[in-house]
Amino acid sequence: MKKYQLGEFEEVVMLTVGVLYKEAYGVSIKKEIESRLTRKVSVGALQSALKRLEDKGYLKSFEGEATEERAGRPKKYFQITALGKKAMEYSKSTRDELWSAIPKVAWSTKFIDRLTFQVTGIQLPATGN
Amino acid sequence: MKNIKSEPPQLPLRFFRWFCHPKLLKYIEGDLIELYEERVKEIGKRKADLKFIGDVLLLFRPSIIRPAEGHERLNNYGMYKSYFKIGWRNLLKNKGLFAINISGLALGIATCLLIMMFIVDELSFDRYNKKANQIVRVVLKGKVNGEIIKEAVTAAPVAATLKNEFPEVLEATRLRRVGTPKITYQNNTFRNSKVAFVDPNFFNVFTLPFIQGDPKTALLLPNSIIISKEQAIKYFGTEDPINKILEFKDANEQYKVTGVIEKVPANSHFHFDLFASMEGLAHSKEDKWLESNYFTYLVLAEGTVVNQFEAKMPAIIKKYMGPQVAQLGMTFEKFKESGNEIGLFIQPLTDIHLFSDFAATSELEPGGDINSVYIFGAVALFMLLIACINFMNLSTAGATTRSKEVGIKKVLGSQKNQLIHQFLIESFISTTVAMILGVLIVTVSLSLFNQLSGKELEAAFLLNPKVLGALLGLGIFISLLAGSYPAFFLSSIKPIAALKNKFSNGGKSKGIRSVLVVFQFVISATLILAIIVVSQQMSYIQDKNIGYKRDQRIVLRESYLLGKNENAFKNQLLTDPRIESVTRSAFIPAGPTDDNMTGVWVGENKEDFRRTVIYGIDPSYIPTMGMQLIIGRNFLESSESENDKVIVNEALIKAFSLQGNPLGQSINQRTDNEGGFSSLTIVGVIKDFHFRSLHEPIAPLMMLNNPYGGLIIKTKTTEMADLIESIQAKWQAFDVEEPFTYGLLDELYNETYLAEQNMGSILKIFGFLTILVACLGLFGLVTFTAEQRVKEIGVRKVLGADVFQIVSILSQDLIMLVAISFIIAFPLGFYLMDKWLQGFAYRIDIQWWVYIVAGFSTLLIALLTMSFKTVRAALANPVESLRSE
Repeated sequence: MKKYQLGEFEEVVMLTVGVLYKEAYGVSIKKEIESRLTRKVSVGALQSALKRLEDKGYLKSFEGEATEERAGRPKKYFQITALGKKAMEYSKSTRDELWSAIPKVAWSTKFIDRLTFQVTGIQLPATGN
Repeated sequence: MKNIKSEPPQLPLRFFRWFCHPKLLKYIEGDLIELYEERVKEIGKRKADLKFIGDVLLLFRPSIIRPAEGHERLNNYGMYKSYFKIGWRNLLKNKGLFAINISGLALGIATCLLIMMFIVDELSFDRYNKKANQIVRVVLKGKVNGEIIKEAVTAAPVAATLKNEFPEVLEATRLRRVGTPKITYQNNTFRNSKVAFVDPNFFNVFTLPFIQGDPKTALLLPNSIIISKEQAIKYFGTEDPINKILEFKDANEQYKVTGVIEKVPANSHFHFDLFASMEGLAHSKEDKWLESNYFTYLVLAEGTVVNQFEAKMPAIIKKYMGPQVAQLGMTFEKFKESGNEIGLFIQPLTDIHLFSDFAATSELEPGGDINSVYIFGAVALFMLLIACINFMNLSTAGATTRSKEVGIKKVLGSQKNQLIHQFLIESFISTTVAMILGVLIVTVSLSLFNQLSGKELEAAFLLNPKVLGALLGLGIFISLLAGSYPAFFLSSIKPIAALKNKFSNGGKSKGIRSVLVVFQFVISATLILAIIVVSQQMSYIQDKNIGYKRDQRIVLRESYLLGKNENAFKNQLLTDPRIESVTRSAFIPAGPTDDNMTGVWVGENKEDFRRTVIYGIDPSYIPTMGMQLIIGRNFLESSESENDKVIVNEALIKAFSLQGNPLGQSINQRTDNEGGFSSLTIVGVIKDFHFRSLHEPIAPLMMLNNPYGGLIIKTKTTEMADLIESIQAKWQAFDVEEPFTYGLLDELYNETYLAEQNMGSILKIFGFLTILVACLGLFGLVTFTAEQRVKEIGVRKVLGADVFQIVSILSQDLIMLVAISFIIAFPLGFYLMDKWLQGFAYRIDIQWWVYIVAGFSTLLIALLTMSFKTVRAALANPVESLRSE
């Protein structure tokens, strides 16, 4: 299923571009991710991800206005393409599929695991002595 | 607000502008500046600057870095891939030429590698010692009564004296060889372990790793001995050798093993199995300066200049040896005034193997020869050069067929250096194949080479990282050297000329090729000359009348081991009808022998004092050896009065310039240091015979009626094997501990010249290889010429030329070149071989016909090689060549 390959960070970037709608350019995307996900994003990582996504055809870009605080450099706005949307939907649907495929029991075993861990955790000092 | 804005740091910004993809530049730069501005407000300029730098650095990643510009935007890997592919296909297309080219180069590389291994080994001698550069040997040189004295050994007190006199001598140690005495441990008796006496500090000087025992203390006590691991197993098997007692029955001494060492490395100038302590040797402590028996080694302080140190020796000689010379009745000053010289000289340890010129009897082991290193080095270099030259020649020759390809490539936009790369890569492919082949050849032929050179070279040497590096370097060097000419030549072809088929090999390259051909044949002809001269000298050695007969003589050097039974054994031998005579003597003119010299004078002329070789023989020695008395008589059987008689050789008469009838004159020999002497009367003169190798002139010799030691048997049979078996049976009947050993005199004689024989064989092999490679090259060239002139040949044939004419037209140029090469090769060959022959006191002259033979055979080989191609070209149907186009 290589058709719509989307890495984790790429997906985050795509989603953020979607969130920002018409205001998605380098700095705003960076800030949005940083504030929403509380994770640090370097300009380099972001720009290379954007370039990759554009090369894949998931994003398209257009040149925006040049402002004073950018020393006259134009902004590059990004938008999700139809293909990009499909890729995101695909990514989401595969996730959902996987989520729904997890049997209920799996959750309970995890619960048991935690229980036993707690039990042994209590017993440990006893055996230690 | 339009106030002054804080600028981001310029350097990272410039860097960013430089590397960033142009399409992204303005946007990202905008982002960066926007972020920077914000940060300046939030966290101040300094921190913002740092963050800016961090951002720039993190942007330095493949997807953002700009690709190479313009036409360089595409990398060339694909092109290189295609070069390899096309190169390989091209080589396979001309399988014949490829094979010639590769095999020539492979042979060249293999020879070069073998010789390099040989040279590296020769140069590595004694360098295993940690202090190799500081160790020197003290040697004795001088001139006494016109006789040149050259000894690698010096007097016993030299070592201690030099150590005491000079602070720069850090350590002085001595070694005295003992030969191979009989050594017994319980029931094991052997007589083949080489033993030396050494000073206790010997192992401070020489780096011979101890497996057991302490190198500093092992030899401090008398009668302690150190054994090599290999020998320890022989004597003691699996038992622990330490503290075991070895008995030296002949000397009635017992030695306790106090250390075990590794075997002495092959590249050492001595190879002893056992090192006994010199402490117990009374002689070693005597202050006798006139007896030289000790190899003396010094460790000099770092930075000591050998020449300056050597300059201090005459004073030592005067101070210590002077008084002892005076005791002999002549003051040291007078001794020197009468033209005598004696001196100690310093020889660096690392020079011993290659540069030592001491007589074989004086040196510990026969050494190598720096000249052979030079000669082989030159051969290796030339082989490689010839192979490279051929490679260049053949590749250039193949150019005609490639010119169209080059033309089309150029038309399609190939640049000159792309073409150069292409041809260099082809050369690289060939070199790699040749290199692999060459290494294979070396691995396969190494054992043969070892046999010939007497070395123990290992193929594992080639896996040494240094050597591998050198091989790689050599490969690249050859690729560049051999590939450069075709690469630059072909890449400069004008495309129009190439496509119109007007391409021709200009006169310039023809000139270069001619020089190369001459060069190759100079080497070939010189080698052929050398081979002829060496084999002539070898057969001269074989056929020369050496003054005694050496066929059908059996030598039992160790018959003294029989002790009291020796005479009985001898008498038993004489009863055998296959044996004509037996003589008792330890003096054998060839191979290992007893060697005895003494100073003598004739009549009253005490001043004319000469060292003379002494042979102890019995009356049957001269007839058994087939020697010839010129005047006088042999010793008489069983007569006591014969003990003061002497038989001398012609050389002695010449040396003392005896006047009148030598018979009856007296020869005097000193018996003590107080002037006492014994007198011997000459009863016979024997025709000069060669008792040393032909390298040395025949020295004065006298024979005394003093038989001891071995037996020499003259036989009447050709069934030697049977006879030796029956002799062995008789030997064993006496119940001796030692195994029966024997030698055949003619074999012993031949072994004397083993080095020369080996050199001859090596020369023949390399000569053959060089000529082979040169012929491969010549063949390639003729192929090339024939292809170039194929139309001309066609036209000539149509007009009526016959095969012979065409063959001669094709070969004449090259034959001219071969002839020119003789003009250089003959003087060169003469010079080299004359130098080699100078090493023999008895030698052949290089006669004129040698040049004729060498020249003629070279020419014949060249002609034959060419005829393979020329005749075929001449026989080809002209239609074939003329109809194309």
